[in-house]
Amino acid sequence: MQQKPTKKLACIIDDDLIYTNLIKRVIENNELCSELLIFNNGKQSIDYFESSLESLDAKSIPEIIFLDLNMPIMDGWEFLERFSKIKNKFKKKISLYVVSSSINPSDINRAKSSPTVQNYFTKPLNVNKLEQIFLRKSG
Amino acid sequence: MLLSKVLDKKTVGNIDIDYWKLKDNDEIIWSEAFLSRLGYSNVNEKIDLDFFLNNLIHKEDYNQFKNNFFAFVRNGNDFRQSILIKSQKGKYKEYVCNTRNNLSLELGTNSKFILFSKRKIKTSKKVKTYKFYFKETSEMTKTGNWYIDFLKQKTYWDHQTRRILEYPEDYIPSLKKALQYYPTEHHELARKAFLRSALDGKSFDIEIKMLTKNKREFWVRAMGKPVFNNNQEIIGLRGVFQDIDASKAKELDLLRTSNIIASQNKRLCNFAHIVSHNLRSHASNLTLITELLNSYKNPEDKLELMNNFTDIAKSLNDTIEHLNEVVTIQNSINKSKSSVNFNNMLSQVLISISQIVVNEKAKINCDFTRLESIEYIPAYLESILLNLITNAIKYKHPDRDPIINVTSYVENSKQILEISDNGLGIDLEKYGEKIFGMYNTFHYNKDAVGIGLFITKNQIEALRGEIKVESEVDQGTTFKIYF
Repeated sequence: MQQKPTKKLACIIDDDLIYTNLIKRVIENNELCSELLIFNNGKQSIDYFESSLESLDAKSIPEIIFLDLNMPIMDGWEFLERFSKIKNKFKKKISLYVVSSSINPSDINRAKSSPTVQNYFTKPLNVNKLEQIFLRKSG
Repeated sequence: MLLSKVLDKKTVGNIDIDYWKLKDNDEIIWSEAFLSRLGYSNVNEKIDLDFFLNNLIHKEDYNQFKNNFFAFVRNGNDFRQSILIKSQKGKYKEYVCNTRNNLSLELGTNSKFILFSKRKIKTSKKVKTYKFYFKETSEMTKTGNWYIDFLKQKTYWDHQTRRILEYPEDYIPSLKKALQYYPTEHHELARKAFLRSALDGKSFDIEIKMLTKNKREFWVRAMGKPVFNNNQEIIGLRGVFQDIDASKAKELDLLRTSNIIASQNKRLCNFAHIVSHNLRSHASNLTLITELLNSYKNPEDKLELMNNFTDIAKSLNDTIEHLNEVVTIQNSINKSKSSVNFNNMLSQVLISISQIVVNEKAKINCDFTRLESIEYIPAYLESILLNLITNAIKYKHPDRDPIINVTSYVENSKQILEISDNGLGIDLEKYGEKIFGMYNTFHYNKDAVGIGLFITKNQIEALRGEIKVESEVDQGTTFKIYF
């Protein structure tokens, strides 16, 4: 029997404000997740994850992360590196997807070779893809 | 042995050997035996040096002998060479003349002597032919011979070595100061090659720059190998220098060209990625927006989305402008350079940003005394100065007013512009070359666009220069531009 998927907590890490604004609408429109966090660079989000680790607040930890690569202050690579060190301390499964405009094979291979990265998507993400991601394994 | 005994008796004038005794005024006194053997004892003419040079010595030997002779007379440079001397009957006889007292003769007099000994084995025609070919080869390939005698602590060069190194025929090479034949930057290379050969008995074959007497640098292929005595001890080194300057210049030129092409190709490839990336992000936003438009039923929602179109259009425009700027740089190599005065250009830049400088209390020091101007595209120098100075002010340290030092100088024959500040600094281990990337910013700063340094680097590299950065977090940053 197919269960109605439990709504998840998701987060987007991207410096493109137009993009985050639009993707937020798409997600909300389709009621894909319960709550959406948006960070404009890697630094903001790693600070968030590291502080929730201290507070042990499992509820506030997103299960799905959409990570951009090219960002100011702390880019996606550095976030990946820092996040990989702490991800196992969270007592829940977190799926991280790299979402970038880069079609550079060296970026794609580098991202896919990281065990932290679930998959690599080239922008734009459309509704179908988002649904696939959100509904995956949650049945 | 017999000879030495005879000479011991100081009866040199009468003995049965062939020699010249030399007087100070270039006068030569023939030994009786020598004259009579050549058939000139009863000739009325005076057989002096001029006569000898003009009539008796074979023309092939003339130059070398003359040079050797005068180097010996004037500077005491010993020599040994074989020559052909015409006898009175008109036949050439082959002699080896020798100034070195290597027969251990006790000459017992202060006069100088040149001994002439008849060649026991006549140089055959074949050998002569070989000698001729050898000389031709050595000249055509610009290859000279050299020999270092460790026992005598002396270096010998042949005619061709002297010629490619532009030293006169009578020049005596120095072993002690052998490094003077190489430019400073290749001293180490020369020392290593020769020392290793002398100590380990290894032969060498290197390309190295040498220095002629006239201080002209040129490339040679230097080959050498040790010379052993019967006890397998190294007693010297022997080898050749080949002048390869022309081909080396071509090789270096080719290498330079290939480097330029490689770097241009890299920049082009990089640029293609940037274009693709930057345009794609806008395109993907447009796709998203249309998708949303289709999904919205409510006209008010749709209308609200329209604002986003304006934003996308604006950033798309900005991106294209930035890309345009970069393309313009790539094509700018043909723009004309002119002499640009650093001081004037800096003043011009400071006027255009005087408002920021005053507001931020920035202090800008400059020293252009060591290099006052360069040949450059004026607009580029202006853009470079503007970018780096505004950057230095923009990323100033919160605890202190910005101080910026701008200096120009020459280092290792490279023209350099240096701009250093006391600002925030940047962790280069972390960001490295990325600071020159497009749209990369590293500090919290609302004005940060991440295009300035990218443009600056492109401008410098388009004109075959280089930009380097040194920085320490909280201390400051120094940019060095190698023109």
